[in-house]
Order: sequence, then structure tokens, then C-alpha cells
Amino acid sequence: MSAYFIRRFLLIIPTFIGITILIFVITRFVPGGPIERIIAQAQQQSLEGGQAVASETVQRQPLSDDQIELLKKYYGFDKPVLVSYILWLGKLVRGDLGISTRYYDPVWTMIRERIPISLYFGLLTLIATYGVCIPLGIAKAIRHKTLLDDLSSVLIFVGYAIPGWVAGILMILLFASHWEWFPLGELVSENFDSLSGFQRVLDLAWHTVLPLLAYLIGAFSFMTFLMKNSLMDNLAADYVRTAMAKGLTFRRAVFGHALRNSLIPVATTFGNNISVILSGSFLVEKVFNIDGMGLLGYESVVERDYPVVMGVLAISSILFLVGNVLSDMCVAAVDPRVKFE
Amino acid sequence: MAISPLTKRKLRRFVGIKRGYYAFLLLTTLIVAACAAELLVNNRALVVHYQGHWYFPTYGDILPGHTFGLGYDYETNYRELAERFRLLDGEDWAWLPPVPYNAFENDLRPDTLPPEPPSLARRHYLGTDASGRDVLARLVYGFRIAIFFSLGLMAATYVVGISLGCAMGYYGGWFDILVQRIIEIWSTVPFLYVVIIISSIVVPNFWWLIAIMVIFGWMGMTWTVRTVTYKEKTRDYVLAARVLGASDLRIIFRHILPNTISLIVTYIPFSISGGIVALTSLDYLGFGLPPPTPSWGELLQQAWANFSAWWIGFSVIGAMVTTLVAVTFVGEAIREAFDPKMHTVYE
Repeated sequence: MSAYFIRRFLLIIPTFIGITILIFVITRFVPGGPIERIIAQAQQQSLEGGQAVASETVQRQPLSDDQIELLKKYYGFDKPVLVSYILWLGKLVRGDLGISTRYYDPVWTMIRERIPISLYFGLLTLIATYGVCIPLGIAKAIRHKTLLDDLSSVLIFVGYAIPGWVAGILMILLFASHWEWFPLGELVSENFDSLSGFQRVLDLAWHTVLPLLAYLIGAFSFMTFLMKNSLMDNLAADYVRTAMAKGLTFRRAVFGHALRNSLIPVATTFGNNISVILSGSFLVEKVFNIDGMGLLGYESVVERDYPVVMGVLAISSILFLVGNVLSDMCVAAVDPRVKFE
Repeated sequence: MAISPLTKRKLRRFVGIKRGYYAFLLLTTLIVAACAAELLVNNRALVVHYQGHWYFPTYGDILPGHTFGLGYDYETNYRELAERFRLLDGEDWAWLPPVPYNAFENDLRPDTLPPEPPSLARRHYLGTDASGRDVLARLVYGFRIAIFFSLGLMAATYVVGISLGCAMGYYGGWFDILVQRIIEIWSTVPFLYVVIIISSIVVPNFWWLIAIMVIFGWMGMTWTVRTVTYKEKTRDYVLAARVLGASDLRIIFRHILPNTISLIVTYIPFSISGGIVALTSLDYLGFGLPPPTPSWGELLQQAWANFSAWWIGFSVIGAMVTTLVAVTFVGEAIREAFDPKMHTVYE
């Protein structure tokens, strides 16, 4: 078994290289990169400077070829794609993600600032999802086809059908704009620094409610149905009938026998949480103006800040790949029947 | 095509699931209505009766103002024409659709600034958006684009997914392993990032966007079909067919595919709602279909940018919730009818 997992961990490396090389190549061939931006800026400046004489040539090319060569060298565009990819990979292995071409900050610093925010929402979502979905799924399975089941099913279906960020916009419209119960976005108020300790907690909690609900809506329905369906499958299994036949109460049969087995499918998705926790959903973050990892990645794509794009991609894909392996380890841990060879 | 008794029973079971069946009827009505949207939501009149002649301007070339004795060469403004005929109180009349606006015209008034709240008198039943376009008209035409977009996307994804998945599952071997690796890499690539990067190079039109989304979204279906084919392949009936001398293609198309189709059908509604959501997300971010294409995502963006114009947000979110929930209900009913799981609980 451990040989299998070692193999799986080693397989992460080629997959990771595949993903990053793909995006790296795409970013190379997309126009509008940093050099084009600097040329455009230079054009703008010289036009504003009113150099009427040279305006004809300036408009075509404000920078000399030497200057462009220098810029290319600075941003690493002077080498072939594969060479600069290998250079990037070499720096990555040494823990250096490069420097943002937009803000000139180290990429790792930018990402590190955002991690606590994404982690905060990720952990809260995780706790709330498992805390609500497992009991709700159990209740729905036991009371299958009753009023409770049907009502909650309809609610969950509505939640499943609507993407979290759309629900977020609806909640902002209702609770923040119309009734003004909650703030319109951001993670803390403007006067956060002047608040006392307890007020800060309150302020943070007040800003957390709506985005957290938006995050939950998506995760919620999936987990609840997973829990319900797997428990129902187990309730119909022969071993539960045997347990009942030997005189166990229904309650003991459910909680002592069926429940343990039906947690297995829930466990299979557990490992993937690590990527959800850290990368978040950039749509929800955009709607609520929260400066998390998702928004950082999205903004860097929009602004063509490629070192940041690659940095965010590297971190999130490593997390995703490790999460997949962790999920399988969870399955192996909870289900002794599963053998990975 | 003959319907087998088995399929008939599945269809009957589907009709029996009321929630899903009514949602299906609602969706069908909406799609049919959207196909005929020009008759319901349009600034061209349905029928004009002018000096003894009948005109049906809805489809076909534009009729310049001269046709109806108006002093201009550009397209007739039928709302003004109808008003004029009413004031003249003669034989002539014009009959306009219930919503007399199309999705592109800016209905600007001298006395107010857009967005305007809903008003029955002005026949903007859901108000106007930030540039004075009728919200209802944009909702209806946006729905038509979104639903046909996701149908097209679904068809394309399924063609790729089913053919590739079948080949992977049936032939196996190095081909299977190779495509598995590709799928693993491909599905880790953040889909929206790539679409955003690509659509910032080329402004995508309808077909471009479908192509881009198929290129980065074919994996799910392929994987499902691969697994099913893999399972079916080891069944005895496939072995029997092979012993009888059936070719690979015959086994795949005559034996394996018909047995997997009932599972594939259960994925269709979820693909459709996925397509609608993906298009709306892209439009919301401004990387979908180019403006001024009517779209729900663009309306959501407007709702998010002006909170005071509550009618925009509520209309589009209401429309989205209705559509997506209906699609999900249909999906749930299809799954229950085509792939039933009978549960017996001992109490």
C-alpha cells in the first residue's frame, strides 16, 4: 500500500509540470504582457509631453530596440519558452516565485498576505458544511419521504441550482442594500484599526456572515445528498437487516452499523478540502470584494501579471494534486476493504 | 425509431414524478416561447393595417418610415406609429407585441435618467437597465442565447466525451493510460482562467466560446463514459457478441452504447445548468459574449454595480433561479426514472 502512495506522490511531479507548462506557454503567446504595457505607457507619456516634432515616430515606437531588448531581458522574455520555463521551475524549487510585473512585490509576499483570509473562510466553510450536512443527511435518510425530507430537499435543490456568487449578489441586494443589516462587502470596516479587541471580533463576524453563506450554498447540497444517499444504500443492505433481525433497535442499527459504513463516501472527498480551503472561489470573493487567493489569481489574469498567475497556479495545483492523493489515503484509512495496488 | 418497452416504462416513471414532469413542461414552454421571442418581445409590430394593406413586419427586411407615410427612411418606429393611428382614429391600426421593445434599443426619456423602475404605463414591465434598455427584453433574449448555448455546448461535449470515452474504455491499453494522464492535467487547469486568458486575445463569438469551452470541458463526460464502457466490456453479452464474430465497431455501437445511454441521459440536465452558469459567470466578469449581446451575466454585473436599481437584480436572479431550479428538478426526476434505486428499510 505505501508503495502505491509513494508512486502516487511521485506522479504528482509530471502532472504538475504538465499543468504549469501549459499555462506558461499560453501566457507567453498572449498579447498585452508587461512589455506591451510599458510601450503603451511610454507612448502615452510622450504624447502628453507634446513632442510634436517626433510624434510621428513616437506613435509607432517610443522605445528604441535596445531598450526593448533590455526590457525583454528584465522580464525574461529574451529566451525561448522552454528555457525560461525551466528557469522558472528552478527558482520555484528554491522557493522563489519571482516578482510581480505589476506591483514589483515578490509574488510569495503577495500570496502570503492573502492566505490567512482564504484560510479563514475555508475553515469556517469546512466546519459549517460538515457540521450541518452530516446530521441533516442522516435525518433525511431516516425520515425518507416525510415532510422534513421533502421540504429540505426543495431548499437544498434550490441551493444546488444557484451558484454561490449569484446567491451572494441576491443577499447583498436584500440584506445589505435594502435592509442594511450587513455591510456591502470587504472583510473589515474602515475604522477597524481604531476598534478594541472585542469590537474587532464583532466587526469581523458581521462582515463574515454573507460571504460565508454564499460559500456554503454550493458545498452544502452536495454533501447532504452524498450523506443521505450513502446512508440509504446502507440501510437497505443485508447486514442491517441481520442486525435488526437479531433484535437491535433501529437506532442502534443505524448509529452502530450503517452510519460508519456510510461515512466512507463522505471521507473520499475530505482530502480535496485542502485546495478549497486555500484557494476559495474568486467569484464569491469578487462579489464581496474580499482580498483572498481567488481574487488575487483572477486579478493577476486580468492584469496580465504572469509571475503572480504562475505563482497562484503553482500553489493551487500542488494543493489540488496532493488533495487527491490525501482523499485516497482517507478512503484507505476508513475502509479496510479498499486495497490500492 | 422504435421505443423499447423498457424505455416506455422509464418515460412513464418520469411522467409519474410530478415535480420533475411539471418542471419539464415549464422548461419546454419557456424554450418554445423563447424561439418565438420576436413575436412576444419586439419593437416591430406584429400586424399593421395601413390604407387597406396588411403588413407583417416581425420577420424579414426593415420597413422604412415612408411605407406608412412617415417622413423618414430609417426603420419605422412602430410604437409611435401605433400611437399616431390611434390619435387619427381612422381605419388604420398597428398591433404591437406585449413588450414593445427589443433588447438593443435605448429607450431614453427627456425627463428621467436610466435605469428606470418598472412601469406599466411605459410598458417596461421590469424597468430598464443602466443604458435605458428594457430589462424584460434583455432577459428573454438572454435566456434564448443561454439555453441554446448550453444545448450546443452539451451536444459538442457529449460527442467528444462519448467517442473518446468509448474508445478509452473499449480498447484500453496505452491509449487509455495516455488519455488518462491528459485528463488529469487538463482537469487541474483552472478552466475559467484559461477561458479568460483566451477571450482576452480574441473577442469570442457564440461558436468560438463553445469551442473554447469544449476544449477545456470535455473531461467529465469522457471519464464517465470510459468507466461505464469499461464495466460493460467485461459483461458476458459483449463476449458472446465477439465470439459470434461481431466487429469492434458493431459491438460498440449496437451493444455497448445502447446500454450506456440510459446513464448518459441522466447527466444531460446537469450539463445544461452547468452551461448556463458558466456562460453567466463569464458574462458577469466581462469575458463572455461581446456587448451588446443580451445576457444574464451582464445584467448581474449591472445589478452588482448599482444596488439602487433593485429591479435589475431581482428580475435576473428570479429568472435564473426559476430556470436553474426547473432544470435541476428535471434532472433529479430523470435520474430517478432512468436509474432507479429502490430502497427498502427494515424498521
